[in-house]
Amino acid sequence: MTQDLDHPEQLRRLVAAVALGDRAAFRRLYDATSAKLFGFALRILRKDELAEEALQDAFVSIWHAAAGYQPHLAAPQTWMTTIVRNKALDILRRQDDAVELDAQQFDTDLLLAMQDPAAGPLDRVQMTDDARALAHCMGVLEGRQRQAIGMAYFHDLSHSEVAAQLSLPIGTVKTWIRRGLEKLKTCLSKREAA
Amino acid sequence: MNIQNNPALREKLAAEYVLGTLRGGARRRFERWLVTDAALRNAVAAWQSRIVPMAEWSQAMPPPARVWNGIERRLGFARAVPAWQFWRIEGARLWGSLAVGAGAAAVVLAVVLAGRVQEPQLQQVATLLDEKAQPALVVAADARRARIDVRVADNVKMPDDRTLQLWAITAAGTTRSLGILPDNRHASLRLDQRAVGPDVTLLAISLEPKGGSPDPNAPTGPVLYKGAWVRL
Repeated sequence: MTQDLDHPEQLRRLVAAVALGDRAAFRRLYDATSAKLFGFALRILRKDELAEEALQDAFVSIWHAAAGYQPHLAAPQTWMTTIVRNKALDILRRQDDAVELDAQQFDTDLLLAMQDPAAGPLDRVQMTDDARALAHCMGVLEGRQRQAIGMAYFHDLSHSEVAAQLSLPIGTVKTWIRRGLEKLKTCLSKREAA
Repeated sequence: MNIQNNPALREKLAAEYVLGTLRGGARRRFERWLVTDAALRNAVAAWQSRIVPMAEWSQAMPPPARVWNGIERRLGFARAVPAWQFWRIEGARLWGSLAVGAGAAAVVLAVVLAGRVQEPQLQQVATLLDEKAQPALVVAADARRARIDVRVADNVKMPDDRTLQLWAITAAGTTRSLGILPDNRHASLRLDQRAVGPDVTLLAISLEPKGGSPDPNAPTGPVLYKGAWVRL
């Protein structure tokens, strides 16, 4: 089922059917995307029960919001992932204990993502082209730029929180993130043009 | 602040909005601009398509079936089931909490019963818990005497004008009456082989009209207590 990820057109059709209230399509959409999305929620929240809650919240929202999905703005996978991330971050902010940060794991994921798809384990092969291109371009960044962006994204850290984590002045972190994002954009548009 | 004519600033804010580092008042102001500024919405969408795929680097992990069941339930898809069929409604989450209670019950019963003259041969036990997971009664099947003993905990108050009825519930969700508690405090019921069959996974107590459920096959009143029926 996960191979559907490589066919955004299929997902788009499913979302369109869901917008019309098609429950069978909703189930297919869930089957095609839930493993990736659950893995992502787990990455943010670390605890199974919290990630399960986030995934449930997200799919309830997806059902209700499908009619408002704008295909020209975002790929279906991106749209759904954004919803999962928002739900996961809502839950994360409710937690009393700070979720442990893991910059090391982030770099491991990145290395795996950048691997030659033919050599990687199966689940890496099933990444979309967008994710693979992003991994390549993140790899071009300096290590700490990459880390700062990854921490902000996965852990919902502010500039000052990233600065505290990396023991750096906030001004430095702001500049790194800004330059890192600019470089990413340039790199990604070059790949798109190529 | 006017960002209309500052393309570099617009890009920076859109990127940081998507990444999440745009915070507080700045974020709220940005969201107000988004409402009226279609080009800014496009910039946000473009940044989402750049950054969001980072999510895919996480290891894929199939979620447990209860996640989908919960989604269906919350959206009202699940076929409506009568309220007393709690095992269908609560799904898998029930089992974890029940297992703990049942384990504790086995220990308590073993201690209590060890002192008896003629030792019962306990075949199965259950602690039935209320909705707050407080133990309310214990049930034990004694193979030697071919009886099922039921005792309500001292601190549990029962209404006089109603009858408590004990049910066996199979994995498939069918219910079998095991009998009523005539005085609502304890009972010694005949050990029916259907009650201890391998397919019976739960016991439950329902609150019925005086004399027991008018329907011989299912409770008609609310289920007050339930617990896993544990083989020893």
